[in-house]
Parts: sequence; C-alpha cells; structure tokens
Amino acid sequence: MLIVGIIAIAVLLFGIGFYNSLINKKNQVTNAFSAIDVMLKKRFDLIPNLVEVVKQYTQYEGDTLTKITELRGKALGATASEADRLAADQQIGTAVKGLMVSVEQYPDLKANQNFAQLQRTWTESEEQIAAARRNYNASVTTYNNGVMMFPGNMFAGMLGYQTMPVLESTPEERENVSAKALFNS
Amino acid sequence: MVGTFTPSQELARVIDELELVRKTIAARKIQGWGAIVLGATGLIIGSLLNSAVFAIIGVCMALVGIILLLLLGNTSGSYQSRYKQEIVSAALSHIDPSLTISPQSGIREAEFEASQLFATDPDRYSTEDLVRGKAGQTTFYFAEVHAEYKTETPTKNGTRTEWHDIFKGIIFAADFNKNFNSTTIVRPKDLTSSIGAWFKKNIYSFDDSNVVELESDYFRKNFITYSNDQVEARYILTPALMQRIEELNERSAYCISLSFIQSTVYIAFPLVHNYFEPPIFKTLLRENLLADDLNILSFMHGIVQELDLNTRIWTKG
Repeated sequence: MLIVGIIAIAVLLFGIGFYNSLINKKNQVTNAFSAIDVMLKKRFDLIPNLVEVVKQYTQYEGDTLTKITELRGKALGATASEADRLAADQQIGTAVKGLMVSVEQYPDLKANQNFAQLQRTWTESEEQIAAARRNYNASVTTYNNGVMMFPGNMFAGMLGYQTMPVLESTPEERENVSAKALFNS
Repeated sequence: MVGTFTPSQELARVIDELELVRKTIAARKIQGWGAIVLGATGLIIGSLLNSAVFAIIGVCMALVGIILLLLLGNTSGSYQSRYKQEIVSAALSHIDPSLTISPQSGIREAEFEASQLFATDPDRYSTEDLVRGKAGQTTFYFAEVHAEYKTETPTKNGTRTEWHDIFKGIIFAADFNKNFNSTTIVRPKDLTSSIGAWFKKNIYSFDDSNVVELESDYFRKNFITYSNDQVEARYILTPALMQRIEELNERSAYCISLSFIQSTVYIAFPLVHNYFEPPIFKTLLRENLLADDLNILSFMHGIVQELDLNTRIWTKG
C-alpha cells in the first residue's frame, strides 16, 4: 500500500513537472521572440546616425539612404507586425550591405572614425540578431519536441498547444562570415 | 608541427655548461638513491640475521643517501631555473619574440576558480611556468596547473584522506574579440551532466534555463554548454567558432573545457606530460631536446589564429 502511494505521488510530481515544463517552454518562445525584437530596435536606432554620416560624404547615394530611412519608418510604425519588422530588417540589411560596398568610392568616409565605429556596431548588431534568431529557433524546437513527445503531448492537447514554425535562416546566417566580408568590403 | 630549432652559439655554450651540471645531478641522484637502497637492504639483512652491525651500517648508508639527495636541492633548483630561463626562453623567441616565460608564476587559484572551467573548487592547487605573449592584437597567457580535491573517509584509526585530480594540464587564457556581459561555459559531456541537463530541460522544477542547446551535432555529442544569457551564448558561440572549437578539440589528446567570462576566453587542456622540465637522466645534447616543448608552445600560440581571435570587426576593436 505504501509503495503504491509512493509511486502515485512520484507520478503526480513528474506529471506536474512536465505540465509546468511545457508552459515554461511556451513562455521561453515568447521571450525569445522579444529578444529578436529588442535586437531589431537596437539596429534600427543606428540608422539615423548612419544616414547622417554617409550623407555628409557622399553625393550619389541619396536613393539608397531614402530607401533605408523609409524601411526603418515602416518597421517602427505603430501598425507594423512582427513579420513586417523581420521583413523590413532583411531589406535594410541588403540595402546597407550595398551601401557599404559603395563606400569604397569615398575614401574620406571610409577614414571617418564615426563611420568606422558605426560599421563595427552594425556588424555587431547583425551577429546579435543572428544569435537572437538562433535562440528563438532553439526555443521553438524545444517547445515543439515538448508538444509532440510523450507525455508532453497529453498536456499539449489539454492546453490547445500546437507546434510552431521555426524562422528560416537568412542568407547572412547561411554564410556566417558575411559580417566580416561586409566589413572588409 | 614546428620546424627544428637550432640553438645559437651562445645558447649552445649554455647547453654545454648545463649538461655538466646535469651529469653531476644525475650522478648524485644515483649515488644517493643507491645508498638508500643499500642501507635498506642492510637493515633487512640485519633484522633477518639479528645482526646489529648490519642494521647500523644500513641506517648510516641510508642517512648518507638522504643527505646526498638533500644537498642536491639548490643545484637542482638552479639547474631547473637556468634551463627554463635560458633554453626554454630561447625556444619561445624562436616561435614568437613576444613570448616570455616566468617559471615561478602561474594562474592564480582565485582566477582558476573564477574561470568556472570546473564545477569543483580545489583543496590543493599548484601552478608554474606562466607563458605570456601577444599575437596580433590579442594578448594571451597560459600556465601549467594541477588542481585537486580531497575526500575524507572515517576509518577505525581516524580519517583516511585521498586526493583526486580536478585538473592537470595547461590553462590557456586570451582576450576575447567581442564584448559580452554574461558567463558561458562549455564542459565535456559525461553521464552525470547529461542526466542533469535532461532534468533541467524536461522537468520544470529542475529548470534554471542555463543549459544552451546549440545546433552543432558535434557540440551536442561532446559538450554541455551553460550560460546565464541564451542569446549572448549564441552571439559568442557562432557556427564558425563552434567549428573552430571542434577542430581544436580534435587536435587535443583529451576533451577540452572552455569558459567565456569577463571578456576572456579560458581553455583547459588536460595533459599527462609535465612540460618545460629539464631532463636529468637524458642528455641535453640531443637534437630533439625541445621537441615536445616546442610542439605544445606552437599549439598554444596557434590557438589565437585557430579561434580567429584577431578578427576585430566588433565594437571591442
């Protein structure tokens, strides 16, 4: 009788543990997405300074700068969804990459200390966003495993939890040395 | 791993001088230990034959042996010190002129503990042969470390103390090329840590979210990664760095441990061999005298390149 009681308590404790673990995994996914958002905002905040510095030294990059500024406005707009922000970030990344390549034509800009520092910060933010995206995908994978595997799948059914899609890797993440190449261009 | 090292004329003279000292030390050691062995034999024979004469001769011989060995202390110390300061230093300069060795210094116990490379704090700690250098913009240092913990078991006659290794080998530390505020630790995977990680991941009450699940299959198979910041851990451990750590680990005889803490990367390389020690019973006048030392020095020096720590494209500069 005592043994049966101990087993029942152990099963109950494990059940509570698994149940809470599933909720914890779901919360971790939400936190992981917030981390991407924080990193994106940090990167978007660099844009005004970058645009100002580049404007002072270049004559022919007006269109690119306007495009970058517009994309930033769109990403930070009150109606922008998470998906909008991610899409805008990808477009900003491509535009800034093009801008960095054309910097070669402006030796004064290349030699500017502020610009060099901004370039470094930009590179850093790119890797931080990549890290936040990897963290999000790891959290989603852990959550999905919890939802699909026994005994988590029983609680997932009760809570109405479903699997979530992972974020597809960006071209930058696929070639993980791109930040270095960008800086050296 | 490294090209042959040809000593300069000046160094060859030092080696010749030290070879004479080595021969003296070797001869004294043989005499000292010989006397002790003979003395012990005399004592055994004396007790077997019940002969006080044999026993007294045995004790006297053993005493002479002990005195001979004790008298060697200073000569041995100075031989060891000159070997490191003059011969090993020259080998260091051969690899990189920025490298210097301080035989009496090492990695302080407080720093060893703060590095969090190992979960257990040592009860007995020794360190020596601190080598410092700079490769490009990256400063680094490494030293031999032997850290042990003790266990005490109550016995009928009191307590039995046993010493166990936490770590024996070389600890390498270098300035990391990115800014970070968190602590990230990569330790070899063993059964206990694997079970701990499973509980942390699957049972909420055990979950302190410190285990970092990285994408690399090699990492998941060989290491357990802990961090107090999941995003920053991935910012440090990029796929490229994980690949480089994998290559470094494959080149090491035993599984390495790493920690990223206070802007520094620490790497622990477990080793059996004690490096930078002068030979006593082997001649100094051989071509491969420094082969092992040169290999390990070159390996340590190459880590900065191998982990790409000289790429300074982030705000740390």
